[in-house]
Amino acid sequence: MADLLVSGIIYGSIITLAAIGLTLMSDILKFFNFAYGDFFSLGAYGTLLMLGLLPKWAPFPGLSFGWGLILGLLAAVVLTVAVMLLFEWMFFRRLRQLGVSPLFVSIASLGVAFVIRALINIAWGPKVRYYSNVIQISRELPLGIRITSDEIVILISALILVALVYLFLKRTRMGKAMRAASDNPVLAEASGVSTRGVILWTWGISGILVAVAGTFYGIEVQLSPGMGWSFLIAMFVAVIMGGIGSFWGALLGGMTIGISEELITGLVQNLVNSMKIQADISVYKPAVAFVFVVLILLLKPYGIFGKRER
Amino acid sequence: MLNYFSSYLVIGCIYGVMALGLNLQWGFTGLMNFGIGAFYMLGAYTSAILTCSPSPDHLGGFGLPVILGMLGAAIIPGLVAWLLSYPALRLRGGPFAIALLAIMETLHLVMRNESWLTNGVWGIRGIPRPFFELVNPRAYSFYFLIIAASALILTWLAMQRAVKSPWGRVLRGIREDEYLTSMSGKNIFRYRQQSFVLSSMIMGIAGSLYVHYTGFVSPQVFSPLMSTFIVWLMVMVGGTGSNSGVVLGAFLVWAVWVGSDFLTDLVPASIATQIGFIRMLAVGAILMVTILTRPQGLLARRLFTAEIHGKGEG
Repeated sequence: MADLLVSGIIYGSIITLAAIGLTLMSDILKFFNFAYGDFFSLGAYGTLLMLGLLPKWAPFPGLSFGWGLILGLLAAVVLTVAVMLLFEWMFFRRLRQLGVSPLFVSIASLGVAFVIRALINIAWGPKVRYYSNVIQISRELPLGIRITSDEIVILISALILVALVYLFLKRTRMGKAMRAASDNPVLAEASGVSTRGVILWTWGISGILVAVAGTFYGIEVQLSPGMGWSFLIAMFVAVIMGGIGSFWGALLGGMTIGISEELITGLVQNLVNSMKIQADISVYKPAVAFVFVVLILLLKPYGIFGKRER
Repeated sequence: MLNYFSSYLVIGCIYGVMALGLNLQWGFTGLMNFGIGAFYMLGAYTSAILTCSPSPDHLGGFGLPVILGMLGAAIIPGLVAWLLSYPALRLRGGPFAIALLAIMETLHLVMRNESWLTNGVWGIRGIPRPFFELVNPRAYSFYFLIIAASALILTWLAMQRAVKSPWGRVLRGIREDEYLTSMSGKNIFRYRQQSFVLSSMIMGIAGSLYVHYTGFVSPQVFSPLMSTFIVWLMVMVGGTGSNSGVVLGAFLVWAVWVGSDFLTDLVPASIATQIGFIRMLAVGAILMVTILTRPQGLLARRLFTAEIHGKGEG
């Protein structure tokens, strides 16, 4: 039980990282970016690429990775943001100038998703990859909790990053401009906020978050070209559940989905086992996100912290 | 060669039926359904289970005639869509698309893992092919083309009639301005629901056609790309909101897809193994270029410009 809760928190923190970027992007750019999941994969594979280029440093004691992964991650963040800005400059900027409606831009982002996934497949092949083949021995904590050192590092780094984004949005001039543009774009622009700057910063912030989240997922689970696509629903459900554009909503939504996916499948599995039925419930883990969509739709169609549109 | 060509036309017809169904939802009602593959898959499995001979590997095999299988393939997806419409149609735009995508992924998990129902990844074999005994098996695709083409023509006629009727006018009204239409005393939810359910039934029939043509069904056939997003590309290329346009789009996109088979013979083997991903790249790139240069598609309706260059929600 406590063990399931802890693995849920770790999984949830990865969803949260990505969902905060996605909620900002959906809110400020005013369309649903279906390529976001594939930027998640790009971040993870970017780190893999750099890991191969950098010299093989020894891993940190107790961890499965060393300086190579940290430097690789930084480079992957730069790469992901650069690719995002390239698509913004080549593609999404032009769509905005043409005045294409948000629904059509969402469909267009699907095209971007396929292009990125195809390129990842061509470059690395469809096989599953790992950053390291070191097997981590998990520590036994009280209450039957098992946690690896990697997971502790992931959890703490995610927490720090979320806090940094929060401070950025609250304290800096650009953060305030982003919140203003999300609240009322016309008024914000009239008050001298540069729409162009806000859009570029939104891509930048979400690019950093999604690349880090992708790499963390790669450390924790594995890399495959379809990883981002299968992660996309969980991220979007977190965003919709929390309310589009809400920082706290994305945090709450991400953690709720992470914890409940682990907890619900684990508890149902225990129940099924105790009833002596042969069934593997864990295969339905992604479906928990779907159950959440239905529940949220029935209770609160605009999300927990959502603002009603129009 | 003739066989190859008629096989291309059969699948083109099936995709044409799906594109017409999607056009009813997206082109005429403005429902951004990213989960049409779910209803296609549901129709395919319903038809397979109803018409197969009994088997210990999966549910049934009820051995019913093919025509009853097709009827079931329309009813079951319709019922499921009707039930799902209550929560899902509370959403609009992007969130609606996500919800349907989640439904599709969930159904995919069920079909892959519940072996008692579908025989899991091994799939269902020996699905009856109509009139297979009566004709030369080697020219079967040619005979099946008659069935597929009649299905396509019937769907096209039905859709043309539907969208020109007062009912279709209300749907277009909802697409253009939901509030104005509701102020005219129309129950928006009911019309959106009818469009959603009817379109899902069309998807189910397309699925049924597919399994009775190939005689085999497995979850791998229904990847999101092949069951959903290629149909979206067909609709976007052909012209959102034009029934003739989306059928043209279906045959065009499918021609490019099939045509790239010939390319594999021309290029070195190292590239030929990548052909699936190069196709995926092409699908993405064509979708991007279409929306950038001709968002209304090849054959578009004038009415639609208000939607492309107007307000709307993401």
